[in-house]
Amino acid sequence: MIHNTKYRLIIGWLYQELMSTYGDRGNIIALQKRCEWRGINAEVLHLDSGFKIQELKKCDLLFMGGAQDMQQKIVSDDLHPPAGGEKVKVLRKMIEDGIPGLYICGAYQFLGKYYKEADETTIPGLNILDLYTENPGENHKRLIGNIVIECHPERSEGSLDSSASPQNDKETTLVGFENHGGRTYLGKNIKPLGKVLTGFGNNGIDKTEGAIYKNSFGSYLHGPILPKNPHFADHLIKLALEKKYNETIELNPLDDSLEHQAHDFVVRRNTK
Amino acid sequence: MAKILIAAGKIVSQISRVLNLGNGSTWPGHIALSVNQNFIKETLRGSDIKIILIAGTNGKTTTGKLIQTILEHNGSTVFQNEAGANLVNGIASSLLLHSSILSTLPYDYAVFEVDENSLPLVLQELTPHYLILLNLFRDQLDRYGEVNTIARKWQEAVKKLPKKTTLILNADDPQIASLCHPELVSGSHPQVLYFGLDDPSLSVKTPQHAVDSNYCPNCHHKLTYKTVYFSHLGDWKCPNCSRARGPLAKISPYYPLAGVYNRYNTLAAVLTAKNIGISDKTIDSALKNFSPAFGRQEKLSVNGKSIQIFLSKNPTSFNESLRTVKELGAKNILFVLNDRIPDGRDVSWIWDIDFENFIGKNMNITISGDRCYDMGLRIKYSQILNTKYQIPNTLGDAITSALDKTPKSEILYILPTYSAMLEFRKILTGKKIL
Repeated sequence: MIHNTKYRLIIGWLYQELMSTYGDRGNIIALQKRCEWRGINAEVLHLDSGFKIQELKKCDLLFMGGAQDMQQKIVSDDLHPPAGGEKVKVLRKMIEDGIPGLYICGAYQFLGKYYKEADETTIPGLNILDLYTENPGENHKRLIGNIVIECHPERSEGSLDSSASPQNDKETTLVGFENHGGRTYLGKNIKPLGKVLTGFGNNGIDKTEGAIYKNSFGSYLHGPILPKNPHFADHLIKLALEKKYNETIELNPLDDSLEHQAHDFVVRRNTK
Repeated sequence: MAKILIAAGKIVSQISRVLNLGNGSTWPGHIALSVNQNFIKETLRGSDIKIILIAGTNGKTTTGKLIQTILEHNGSTVFQNEAGANLVNGIASSLLLHSSILSTLPYDYAVFEVDENSLPLVLQELTPHYLILLNLFRDQLDRYGEVNTIARKWQEAVKKLPKKTTLILNADDPQIASLCHPELVSGSHPQVLYFGLDDPSLSVKTPQHAVDSNYCPNCHHKLTYKTVYFSHLGDWKCPNCSRARGPLAKISPYYPLAGVYNRYNTLAAVLTAKNIGISDKTIDSALKNFSPAFGRQEKLSVNGKSIQIFLSKNPTSFNESLRTVKELGAKNILFVLNDRIPDGRDVSWIWDIDFENFIGKNMNITISGDRCYDMGLRIKYSQILNTKYQIPNTLGDAITSALDKTPKSEILYILPTYSAMLEFRKILTGKKIL
C-alpha cells in the first residue's frame, strides 16, 4: 500500500485479545482500510493486558469493544486496579483532551460510573462518562435485535466543521445489531449519540442510544458499526486528523456503493 | 399414557408431513411433552436401549453419523434424531417416531445430537451411556449467550451424572477438558476418556482471531500452547496454576473426511466405538464406507458440474471450511449468508473470520443470501488485491452464475449458513435448476 500523504494516524486498540467478541475487529479493519485507501498511513497499536502507558499516549484514535464477563474483569484489573492506577488517569485525560474514541457495548458501559449486575453486585466503572448501567435481572429480557438510530455524529463538540450538514439521508442514520442485558442511563452532562428509530438503544425506554462526550462515542451497536456506517468511520478519522494536525480536513470521497447497500438494507427492512 | 401419546404422535407426524407443515420432526414431541411432561422418562423406562448424546458447537451431526455408521457396520440397530431437531422436543419426537406401536424401542442404540443450551435439560430427562462433548466456540451470541456461560451450565449438569455414564471429552479444548476435573467432582463420578490431536504438522500457521477460551478455566491466567490446531484447540498449559492438557487415548484411525476439524469428530466417534468394544477392523471398514452427512462436505453433481457443500455457521467453522477448501485447491467459491433464526440474527461474526489468510488472488467468488452486502463488505475489506466477487440478485442467479464460471474439471465449493444451505439445496434438488 502506498502512503502518499503526510498524514499518519496511530489507532489504539484496547484489549483486543479480551474485548472482541462480536466482530469488533471489523471496526479496526474499517478504520485502517479507509485510511489506507486515501493514502493515510494508519498503524494499529494493540494495547493488550500489561501494555505500557507510553503506548497509550501515542494514540490518535482509540477503540475498545465488548467482552464476556470474565474477560471484562481481567481488563478492569489491568486498567483500574483497586490500588489505583496510572492507566485510567491517562485514558481519562485523553478523553477530556478530545482524543477521539469509539467504545462499544462492554467498553461503553465500562466508561460510566458503575455497572450493577443482575444479582445486585455493583462493579465500579472508570467514572469518565456521566452514565451508569443496571441489569434488571434474569426475568428481564436481553435487548437483542437490529437497530436503526437517527444520529448526527458530525455535531460532536470537537468537530472543527460544526456547520457540517448531512448531504443525504444516508448520513443521518446509523445501523447495527444490539445485544445487551444492561440498561444504560445518561446523566445531565452527556448527550446521546442518537435517537432510536427501531430497536432498544440505551435502556429500551427513553429512545436514546449511545453517548457523545467531547470526541468520544459510546454505543451498543455492533454489526460491527463502522463498515456499514462509513460516514461515521470517516467522521472518526477526520476528528483524529484534525485533532492531531490542528487543521480542517476534507477526506477524499471513496466508492461507498456497497457500504450504502448494506446500510440501506438494514434501514429498509427495519423501518417502514 | 405414553402408549396413547406414541400412537397419537405418529398420526400427527404423518399429517404434518402430508400437509407439508415442516418436516414433522419436532411437532409430535412438542405435543407429547405438553400432554405428559414425563414422556421421555416413561418411554425409556424398562428399555435396554443405550443412549449416546453428543453436544458441542461444531461437529455434532458428523460425529453422530460416524458413530451410527460404525455401530451399524457392527450389526447393531441405531436411530438418530434428525439434524436440527436437537432440543428436548426434538428428542421426544425422535423417541416417539422410533417407538413401535406397543411403545417399545426396537433398537440397540439411540444417538442424539443435543443443542448446547438444551444439554442440561436433556440430562434431566435421560441418563446417557455415553456423553460426547466436542468443543465450545462463539456461535450465535444472540441465542446462546457467551461461551463461558454455557460452559458453567455444562459443568453443573456433568457433576450430577452417575457412574453409568462414560464421558468422552475433547482434551484440546481447555473448557471441555476441565468439565470433569478431579478437583471438581466428588464421590462417584463418571468414567472419563479424552481424545485430542498429537500431530504438530496439522497446527495452524497464523494465529486465528476467533479464539474464545485461551484463559485458564481454573485460575483465569492466559494459557500457553505448544501446538494450536485451530481457534483455542491444542496442546495447552497454564503457566500459573500448571493445569494442562492431560494424556490422550491412543488411537490413530482412518480419517474419512478432509479437514482438521473432522479429525476431532472421527477421534470422538472412534474412541466411543472402541469403548463399546467394537474391533479396530470393523471400525476401519465402517470409516472407509462412510458418506458425509447432509451439507457437511456433501458432494453433488449438477448438469455435469461438481459441487461440494461446507456448512459454515460460526467463525471457527467458517475458518476451518476455508482452510480445508484452500487445501483442496479451491478456485471457485460461493458464500451464502442468511440471518434467519437458525443462522442467528446477528451477522457481526463474519468479521471474526480470517478471510485474509485464505482467499487467494485468482479465486472466482460469488456472494449471495439475505445479508449478501454484509458478506460483500467483509470480502471488500479483507482487501486481497484484485479479488473479484459478484453479488447476483437472487440465490438462483448466484448458483447459475457460480456454476457457469466453474469449469467441468473443477469443483464449486459452497459455504452456506444453515438456512441458506436448506434453501439452495431446495433449489438444486427441487424445481428450478435440476
